Amino acid sequence: MTQAPASLSITLQACAKTFDDGTRVLEPLDLSIAAGETLVLLGPSGCGKTTTLRIVAGLERPDAGGRVLFDGDDVTALDIAQRNVGMVFQSYALFPNMSVAENVGYGLRVRRTPAAERTARVREMLAMMRIEALADRKVDQLSGGQRQRVALARALAVRPRALLLDEPLTALDAKLREALRTEISALLRRLHITSVYVTHDQAEAMALGDRIVVMSHGRVEQIGSPREIYQRPASRFVADFIGAMNRLPGRMLAGAFHCSGGSIAWPQGPERAQEILFRPEHVRIAESEAVADLRGTVSATFFLGDRSRVLVDIGDDRTVTLEGAMRRPLRPGERLGLRIDAQDLLTF
Amino acid sequence: MLIAQITDTHIKLPGALAYGKVDTAAMLARCVAELGRLAPQPDLIVITGDLVDLGRAEEYAHLRSLLKPLGSPLVVVPGNHDDRSALRAAFADHAYLPARGFLQFAIDAPYPVRIVGLDTLVPMQGGGELCAERLAWLDETLARQPQRPTVVLMHHPPFVTGIGHMDKLGLAGRDEFSRVVGRHPQVELVLCGHLHRSIQARVGGRAAMTCPSTAHQVALDLRDDAPSRFNMEPPGYLLHRWTGSGFVSHQACIGDYAGPFPFFADDGSLID
Repeated sequence: MTQAPASLSITLQACAKTFDDGTRVLEPLDLSIAAGETLVLLGPSGCGKTTTLRIVAGLERPDAGGRVLFDGDDVTALDIAQRNVGMVFQSYALFPNMSVAENVGYGLRVRRTPAAERTARVREMLAMMRIEALADRKVDQLSGGQRQRVALARALAVRPRALLLDEPLTALDAKLREALRTEISALLRRLHITSVYVTHDQAEAMALGDRIVVMSHGRVEQIGSPREIYQRPASRFVADFIGAMNRLPGRMLAGAFHCSGGSIAWPQGPERAQEILFRPEHVRIAESEAVADLRGTVSATFFLGDRSRVLVDIGDDRTVTLEGAMRRPLRPGERLGLRIDAQDLLTF
Repeated sequence: MLIAQITDTHIKLPGALAYGKVDTAAMLARCVAELGRLAPQPDLIVITGDLVDLGRAEEYAHLRSLLKPLGSPLVVVPGNHDDRSALRAAFADHAYLPARGFLQFAIDAPYPVRIVGLDTLVPMQGGGELCAERLAWLDETLARQPQRPTVVLMHHPPFVTGIGHMDKLGLAGRDEFSRVVGRHPQVELVLCGHLHRSIQARVGGRAAMTCPSTAHQVALDLRDDAPSRFNMEPPGYLLHRWTGSGFVSHQACIGDYAGPFPFFADDGSLID
């Protein structure tokens, strides 16, 4: 393939960032990114994810004491041009007065790469992103998705040691976002290039990341595979941020959690639990109310095509959401018994 | 990296002459053609203000059509003849321009140096200003990346030129500007327009300079009471070449001049 054969490992050691006005936007962060890995930085705005990416890029310097290592070499003092990383931004930052091919070849031109090599590399990049037909178009004649393909081709044309992507799909509409997400995921794996991808979109993070770093208020909440983050959230913040979650207050009594609508057997449940969390897809409909854990009344149903979402009023202004393929249509007002397995319960 | 700087293009509606005399459009077209023949090609072209003459949307449309042949990335800052919202609308495809407020920006990638643009415009005034808000933005922006060699673009020069009538249209806040760039030694160049001629000075310890206009030039007259006059000296542009450790700036004249002639004969001897 076209990438330099050896992928880069990236290490951040005690990287914090405080702005001049004293605002701490990033608490000291230690992070290791393996060669060829796609790491996603995920969190709401202001969580420190973009600052972390900019520290990796060399666009931001960590506070004194922080170090950035590329393959073990200290690059903290090097700026972005010296680190040889490729970047893709949310706003395309393409040159509107230049053709697609000129845009893709720009990094090579600045580096004074010989024209023949430049032409060959541009052609290769256009083919890789399947935009050969657009080579001579001006950027203003392209759709948003095409522009982001050009931006990716431009970033990769210089054979960067790592690819850094800052919300590259945020400006696109939902359908395009999903298609391009799949494409980027396949591309990163094929190239085996070390990548750091910033997003606030958890679906994007799930689809793209080998590992996800969930961040909040300048701190890491959890680092793990998409599966780990989803199935075993380490904090209430992660549980809330990733996927939909039911949350019910109550208390433990004799091996069961008692709450509005009934109680759920939970022999291993911690005595101190005052709230339980569980996913909508882990709620099942009981054969009858008699064998149910929780009981309530259907308040609304939503047909989602491959599955349905049902809201069940369990009293005290509490609602449980369940999701799945319903064997029969449910109607608002209908009484319903619900079952939840202890293994699917979380508490923090 | 090679940066070409052009400035004070003063484009009017098609067919109109600036001050009844200067065909600014034809002169810019000539400059664009010469830039297109440069080898090596500039990696970036910057325009340091007074892009059009009266800040009208139609003038900006005319300007864009004249700039179309350029095959390099383009970065613009406003001058006193520009209109913020008309400029913003005309350059809506320039992602570095902020959607609201002052037209100030920092471009971090993909250039080997960082490009910071300043907005010195005061609507309906010839003079410029860097108010506390704009200066604070600059200080903060420069503080974010102390390690990156940086070029600052601004229309009004932050120094007294000695040309009396132009200094009356000077820059308010220039002492404060000098102190700000004095704190940020990574600022390699401060590139300005407004003066329609080439002038160099040191500001806060940094190299600052104005660029010739692509059209008419301001008469060189260093009297305090110099009257406001222009002439048709050769127009020009500047080429700033980044060597990896510093900038070297060249002035180029636009137009046909005799030559080039060889220094040496075919046998290698100096021509006598």
